[in-house]
Amino acid sequence: MELIVSLKKKLPAFTLKADFTLKDEVFALLGASGCGKSMTLKCIAGIERPDKGHIVLDGKVLFDSEQQINLPPQKRQIGYLFQHYALFPNMTIAENIRFVMPTNTAHDDKTIQKLLNTFQLTDLADTYPAALSGGQQQRAALARILATPAKILLLDEPFSALDSYLKGQMETELMDILPAYGRTAILVSHDRGEVYRLADKTAVINQGKMETPQNTKDLFHNPQTLAATLLTGCKNISRAQRIDDRHIYALDWDLPLKTVAEPSSQIKYTAIRAHFLTAQEKTAGENVFPMEVVRVIEDTFSYIVMVRPQGKAVKPLRWELDKQQWQQLKKTTLYLYLPPEQIMMMNS
Amino acid sequence: MLDWNPLIITLETAVTATTITFFIGIFLAYGVMRMHKGQGLMDAIITLPLILPPTVVGFLLLLLLGKRSFIGQALLQWDIHLVFTWPAAVIAAIVVSLPLMYRTTRGAFEQLDPNIIYAARTLGVSEWRIFWHILLPNTRQGILAGLVLSFARTIGEFGATIMFAGNIPGHTQTMSTAIYAAVQANDYALAEKWAAGIILFSLLFILSLNHWLNRQTRKAF
Amino acid sequence: MKKFFILLLTILILTASVGCQQQLAATTTPEKQSPIELHIAAAASLTDVMQELAAVYAQEHPEVTITFNFGSSGALQQAIENGGQTDLFFSAAAKQMNALEKSGNLLAGTRKDLLENSLVLIVPQDSRLELNAFADLSRPELKHIAIGDPSSVPVGQYTEEVLTNLGIFDNIAAKAVYGYDVRQVLAWVATDEADCGIVYATDAASTPQVKVVAAAPAGTHQPIIYPAAVLRDTKHPEEATAFLAFAASEKARAIFTKYGFICK
Repeated sequence: MELIVSLKKKLPAFTLKADFTLKDEVFALLGASGCGKSMTLKCIAGIERPDKGHIVLDGKVLFDSEQQINLPPQKRQIGYLFQHYALFPNMTIAENIRFVMPTNTAHDDKTIQKLLNTFQLTDLADTYPAALSGGQQQRAALARILATPAKILLLDEPFSALDSYLKGQMETELMDILPAYGRTAILVSHDRGEVYRLADKTAVINQGKMETPQNTKDLFHNPQTLAATLLTGCKNISRAQRIDDRHIYALDWDLPLKTVAEPSSQIKYTAIRAHFLTAQEKTAGENVFPMEVVRVIEDTFSYIVMVRPQGKAVKPLRWELDKQQWQQLKKTTLYLYLPPEQIMMMNS
Repeated sequence: MLDWNPLIITLETAVTATTITFFIGIFLAYGVMRMHKGQGLMDAIITLPLILPPTVVGFLLLLLLGKRSFIGQALLQWDIHLVFTWPAAVIAAIVVSLPLMYRTTRGAFEQLDPNIIYAARTLGVSEWRIFWHILLPNTRQGILAGLVLSFARTIGEFGATIMFAGNIPGHTQTMSTAIYAAVQANDYALAEKWAAGIILFSLLFILSLNHWLNRQTRKAF
Repeated sequence: MKKFFILLLTILILTASVGCQQQLAATTTPEKQSPIELHIAAAASLTDVMQELAAVYAQEHPEVTITFNFGSSGALQQAIENGGQTDLFFSAAAKQMNALEKSGNLLAGTRKDLLENSLVLIVPQDSRLELNAFADLSRPELKHIAIGDPSSVPVGQYTEEVLTNLGIFDNIAAKAVYGYDVRQVLAWVATDEADCGIVYATDAASTPQVKVVAAAPAGTHQPIIYPAAVLRDTKHPEEATAFLAFAASEKARAIFTKYGFICK
C-alpha cells in the first residue's frame, strides 16, 4: 500500500502543511497536542477538507484540489481508529461489527465470530460499549475496522486513553495486527516511546509545520531541529555558538564543548540527553566540568540530579543515573563528562 | 351538558401538529446542522416564532398565507381557503411549536460525540443509515424531550390560533379559545370548567409522560 | 425508535383523516337539516348578546344555522381581509369597518350603524370611596385606576379622550393600570384590585360585582358606534341581509337594551 499526501489547510491558529509518502511501513506524526497532527489524519480520511493539495492511496485519487476531486469518507477505504474508539453506543459489540460490513449474508456470521475470537471478545459479543474497559473498547474498534475493506490504518493517539499497564499490552497487540495492512499505518502521537517502538519513519509536526520525515531511529539519535529534540524527549538544551571546527560554546550553561563533527556556522542550539552524562573521578581532558548539585529527585528506578557548572549562576542540567551509581558517587566531588559523540547540534 | 368539542379539537390539533412538527423539526435540525453557510440565519428564522408574541405570529401567518398573499392566491386556484379553518389551527400550532422541537433536537444532535458519526463514515456506512441507526437512536432522549415540549406548547396555544384560525365553535375553537370566549360571554362558570379541564389534562399528560420517559431512560442501553 | 416513528406516522394519518372527516361532517351534516350556515364574525364584547340573539332567530328560522367567531375587532378585520370566510361582521368600532369598506370587502349598501355604547365609571360593589363623577378621579386617596391601554385598546382610546377633555388625564396617569382589553379592566374592579375603572356600560351591566357611579359627560368623547355589515364574499347574501335586518328589529332591540346597549 502506498499513500501520497500533500496538503495545506488554514486553521485558526496556523496553517497546516503536510507532505509525505509512505509505502508498507508505519509512519508516525510526532507532535504536541493541537499541532495539527489529528487534523492531518482527518483530511486523509475525508472528515475534513484541505484547502489545497492531493491525497492518493494506491493510485486512487482521494482528494485533489486541482481536479476538484473529494471522495466522501465512505469511499476512501481508510480505517480510522479514534482516540476514544467511537463505538456506536446503541449497539452491542457484535452489532457494531455487523453494522459496518458491506454485505449482509450468512458468511458474515463466520467473519464476526472469527474477528471476535481474534480480539478475545467472544464473551463480550452481546455487551454494550459502555460496559467495556478501555482496552476492550479498543479491541472492538480494531475488530470493527478489520470487518471493512480498509487498506490503511490511521491511529489517532491510540493509547492515550489507556492506563500504563494496558498500554504495553495493546501496543503488542497492535504490532500483531499491523501486518494485516501490509504494515501500512499512520500513527499520531505525542508519546515518543510509542513512536520509537512502533514507527519505521517519523515526522515531527510543530505548529502545523511538518518537518522532513526521517527514519525513526535516526531522528531520535540525531534530531535536526529544536522541535524534534524537544519531542524526542531531550531535556538538556542550550543556545550555542561555533568556536572552531571541533568546538562550540553552550551559552545557557556557560561551557565550551568539544564535538565530533564539525559545527556549522549557523548552529543555534546544542543538546545532550540526561542519561549520557557520566561522572568522572577528577577533572581530566576536555568536556569534563566540576558541577554543584542543585536538587536531587528520586524516581522509580533512578535518580534525577539537577546540576550546575560550579560557581556559575546558569540554567541547570538534568542528569539521570541508576540508584546504585548515585549512592556510590555521593561523597566524592562531582565532575561530569559530556561525551563529544553525544553532543547534538541543531541549526534551527 | 358540556360541549366536548373544544377538547376534541384541541387534541386533534395538538396531535396532528406535534406529529408534523416532530418530523419537520428533526429534518430541519439535521439540515441546519449540516449546512456550511447561512446556518445562523436559518437558525434565527426557525427560532423566531419562539420570541415573537403569538398574536404577531398569527398576523404574519395571515400575511403569508392569506388570500392576498402569493401562496394564498395559489391555494385559491384549488379552492382552498385556509383562514378560519381547522388546517389553519394546525398550521398555527406547528409554527409556534417548531422552534422547541428544532432547538431541542439540534441540541441533542450536537451533544453526540461527532467522532461517532465520523467513525461510521470512514467505516463506509451511508449517511442515510447513519441518520436512522446511529444519530436518531443515540439522541432519543433529546428528541423525545422536544416532542413533549412541542406537544405542551400546542395544547396551550392561543394567540396565533385565534388570529389565523378564528374562534369558531365545532371547527377551530380549542380549549384555550373556549376559555376566552366564555370569559367574553361573562360565563365564568364555563370558563372555570374549561380551565379546570385543561389543568387536569395537562397534569395527567405530564405525569404519564414523565412515567413513560423514565421507563424509556431505564430501557436505553 | 423505528417502531416509535411508525407509531407516530400512523397517529398522524389517523388524526388528520378524522380531523378532516370532522371538518366535512361539520359542514355537511347541518346541510341535511338546514342547508344554510351563516358564519358571523363578531367583536368579543358582543359574545353573550349575540348568542341570545341567534337563539331567538333560530326559533323563527330553523333553516339557518349560525356559527359564530368571536375575537377582537382588529384581529377579525385582518383575518377577513386575508380570506377568512365570513358572511356577516359585527364590529365594536367604526375604524375596522371603515377599513373593510375601503378595501372593498363589504357588500354595498348593507352597512348599518347598529348600536351605541357609553362609557361609565365603575367601582367595586362594596366600595366606600363615594366617587360620584369622573372629576373625582383626581382625588388623592385613589391608588389604582383601571383603564384600557390608550395606545391599543378601543376603550382606552375613548377613556383618554374623556379624561383629556376633562383636563385630568395627566393627573391620574401615574395611578392608571392599563388593561389589554375591557374585560381585564372589569375583572380588576370586580375583584377590588383597582379602586375604580372605566368600561363600557354593557360590561358594567354584565356583573353584579361592580356598580356604575357615573357616565361620561355628554360630548366628551366620539360616539361609540357598533357597525355591522354583510361581506362581499358571502355565499348567502339574502340570508345574511335578513339576519342583519333582524338585528335592527324591535325584537332584537329589546335584547340589546337588556345588555346595556343603546340602539340607533
